[in-house]
Amino acid sequence: MKHKACNKIQLNTFLKFFLALFLIVSCFMFHVSLIYAQQISISISPPLLDILIKPGKSILVAYRVENFGDPTIVESKVLPFIPKDNNGNIQIKDKFEGPIQFNLDNANLKLGDSFFLKTHDSQQLLLRINVPEDVSDGDYYYSLLAQTQPPPTIEGNSSSRAQATIGSNILVTVSGSGKVDINGKVALFDVLPHWKLNIFGRTLKLFDSNDKIPVVMIVENKGANRILPQGEIVMKGNFGETAHYDILSQNILAQSQRQILATPSATIDCQNDSKEKVCLTPTSLILSGFFIGRYLLSTTLNFGEGTPNIFASTSFIALPFKFIISLFIIISAAVLIIRKIRDNQ
Amino acid sequence: MKFKIVFILVLCSTFYVPQIFALNMESPRFRIQFSNLNTASGTKSSEGYSLSDTVGQLAAGRFDSEGYVVKAGFQYLHSIIPFRFTITDTTIDFGPINPKTFSAAKTNLIVSFGSAGNYQVTANEEGKLRSPSGNTIPDTTCNGKSDTCSENVAKPWTSLIAYGFGYHLEGDDAASDFIDSTYFRPFPDSSKKKPPAVVMSNVNVGKNRTATVTFKVNVSPDQVAGTYQTVINFIATPSF
Repeated sequence: MKHKACNKIQLNTFLKFFLALFLIVSCFMFHVSLIYAQQISISISPPLLDILIKPGKSILVAYRVENFGDPTIVESKVLPFIPKDNNGNIQIKDKFEGPIQFNLDNANLKLGDSFFLKTHDSQQLLLRINVPEDVSDGDYYYSLLAQTQPPPTIEGNSSSRAQATIGSNILVTVSGSGKVDINGKVALFDVLPHWKLNIFGRTLKLFDSNDKIPVVMIVENKGANRILPQGEIVMKGNFGETAHYDILSQNILAQSQRQILATPSATIDCQNDSKEKVCLTPTSLILSGFFIGRYLLSTTLNFGEGTPNIFASTSFIALPFKFIISLFIIISAAVLIIRKIRDNQ
Repeated sequence: MKFKIVFILVLCSTFYVPQIFALNMESPRFRIQFSNLNTASGTKSSEGYSLSDTVGQLAAGRFDSEGYVVKAGFQYLHSIIPFRFTITDTTIDFGPINPKTFSAAKTNLIVSFGSAGNYQVTANEEGKLRSPSGNTIPDTTCNGKSDTCSENVAKPWTSLIAYGFGYHLEGDDAASDFIDSTYFRPFPDSSKKKPPAVVMSNVNVGKNRTATVTFKVNVSPDQVAGTYQTVINFIATPSF
């Protein structure tokens, strides 16, 4: 009897242990992370550096490169870049050039040296930017790049090995006097119309009342230093209605153009409406609403305190063409049906 | 017994730690995040310079000194989302490549970008797919004739007698010329001084913008057997 009771206690203990083990294992199974093959994930901060500096001066800037992926080897380097297009994209040059000198002040690292980063580890890069005395006034553009090493080759199989590089842009304006050359103009300010109609030498830009109105504004920098436009776009309708859209300040590099963005802008789902005109061409602003009549769009820009205002304008006409055509088709169909019924009678 | 079960459940609940986010205020153009959690800040000086800094810099600032002005971050907007670039699988294994058969492999490119301004991801190859004996697989020209693709223009690549190596991209911020899954481009060859091609870009704020790259190879029956390798360099840079 005593033996049976003992067995029962042992069985209960085993069941409790099994239940506890089951609960703990279940808990671990609830949290399933996504597993990938070797992954690279790196970040750099700050992503942009904007310096106005006199010749003969140097500054020290602390960057941080952090690894969120698998352990990897990273190499740092600085290369010059040029603007690639008017959308803010850049083209990094293959080799270093230009008068600005870059060095790392880290005790154990030089530019071009590789360093190992464990997962969630980070490396501070103390970048010294030195402008020699004889550097002429002007703008110089560079990127600090952190490049990972590609993984080892796979024996026996053909493969591509991916390498990740992340960059942080450095815009250096050298000025001995502290003054900069600001010379900007509006190169293009227009709408992308659905239809264009030329009447007596004038071009009418036509939209349907329900269309979204894409606006394109390109600002050209003809000066020797980068500029930062500020201002707004104003839309005025027939009935005195007015809407204001703020221009987002974005650098325009020397001797280049950039498409400027304004906010608040409507958005379009280009995944589903990929054939929409606004999806095919980059735009500065998309206006949405119900438009009827003639609308005047104007923009006023300046490039900082003490700079003159620059003005540009355009207009468009919106009418309910789709509604009118639909109405015409319905009326025509109705007339035809009524006539046919009458003829049959 | 009850106490033990409760204890185990409480213990289990501590294993699952959900991600915690700060409060986001966002529109299609901006994302403002609270709050600013600096790890250290202050003014450091020596004989030659004076520098104000914010370690773990969440709020960028304008730092003045005699001889220079430094602005770090995007026009004083700085985010707690750093500029981060991820490649989910760095080894793109084609396996055994058979003539007149498409071999494909995929990886994801992920960009997180928390500040104003835009970003771009460009790509190029460090030479053609090459075997140790020096034989190469050419870069694709897609189906050819009117469907001839280039480094910057994707075209359909469906013909099994069109040989080469190329890539297709789909997902967030992918280049718009990849109209559907049949559209491919060759990688620009950096050994021939060709500039990298833009594969992803966006003018808006974004977090975990993900595009899938499909690498594809098709070889002719005359292709010399061997193991072909190359390195693809993806470069993520913010705008200026």
